[in-house]
Amino acid sequence: MLFGEEGQERLKKSTIVIAGAGGLGSPVALYLAAAGVGTIKIVDNDLVEQSNLNRQILHNDRDIGKKKVDSAAEKLQSINPDISVWAIHTTIDTITATSLVGNADGIVDAMDNFATRYLLNDVAITIKIPLFHGAIRGFYGQATTIIPKKSACLRCIFPKAPPQEVFPVIGVTPGVIGAVQATEVIKYLLNIGGLLTNRLFIWDGMQASAEEIHVERDPHCEACGTKKGMRRKRT
Amino acid sequence: MNVRIRFFAQFGELLGTDIIAESSSGVALDSLIKEVASKNKEGYDAIFDEHGSFREFVIIMRNGKRLDMADAKKVRVADGDEIAVFPPVAGG
Ligand SMILES: [Zn+2]
Repeated sequence: MLFGEEGQERLKKSTIVIAGAGGLGSPVALYLAAAGVGTIKIVDNDLVEQSNLNRQILHNDRDIGKKKVDSAAEKLQSINPDISVWAIHTTIDTITATSLVGNADGIVDAMDNFATRYLLNDVAITIKIPLFHGAIRGFYGQATTIIPKKSACLRCIFPKAPPQEVFPVIGVTPGVIGAVQATEVIKYLLNIGGLLTNRLFIWDGMQASAEEIHVERDPHCEACGTKKGMRRKRT
Repeated sequence: MNVRIRFFAQFGELLGTDIIAESSSGVALDSLIKEVASKNKEGYDAIFDEHGSFREFVIIMRNGKRLDMADAKKVRVADGDEIAVFPPVAGG
């Protein structure tokens, strides 16, 4: 066994919030449930649509019209009846974010927009728990792990959001990135291995090539910076 | 002198993923990337705005170190430099 009974026990006592039950949320939730993460809170405000099914592998054809979180909870519970799954059908916003996260051990960013990602980043910093970031577009993806005040946060790395668009996607890409995020969560909870902190993992499925970009905390970062008052104006 | 420019993700699709650019020494980094990117309008427009400035979300690395976008105009490339131009993605 990779991490023994003690490790398994540790996973069982852990609580992870998965923000998003779509392309990234699907593989992350499946792997964390199968690994035995004891409490999984999955949050989404959407209903399952036919067009989701090419990538959102938690949901089946017969789930169309259901709340994504209900469809998700059903699958996760059938994979692992020993864990507790909270299906939270709501929008993550400034009012709900902190209470949704509660006393979780970490947040998985499985969102599809940067506005909510920045919000999750702020919550992670405020309550000092890690944020496991992932994002995809077509055959391309990126992931990084943020340990507040220790490693570069989402705003340090991406001070400005990429443009909002209807992004093309193929299901295998969230599969790759979601698996990376789930790996990070498990390592963090077990305190093993080397995390993707201060490193942006980038995946190019088209060329089958993975790279990493070294990133650093920005002392002027508007979310986690230590020199907020002296922040240079970015144009 | 030669500078290696690597375009990632959709930038690479439009402009090629790995380019060796010949340039005279002391050229500003942003001019060099502009010159290389100008062979494909869509690629150029993806990286630069209508004023010819880097779009604010673009990430530029020089020899493995992230550049502050405000410095991109001031930085001069040197022989053997490796520049990476990367667009973050936002989907999920
Ligand atoms: Zn920061």
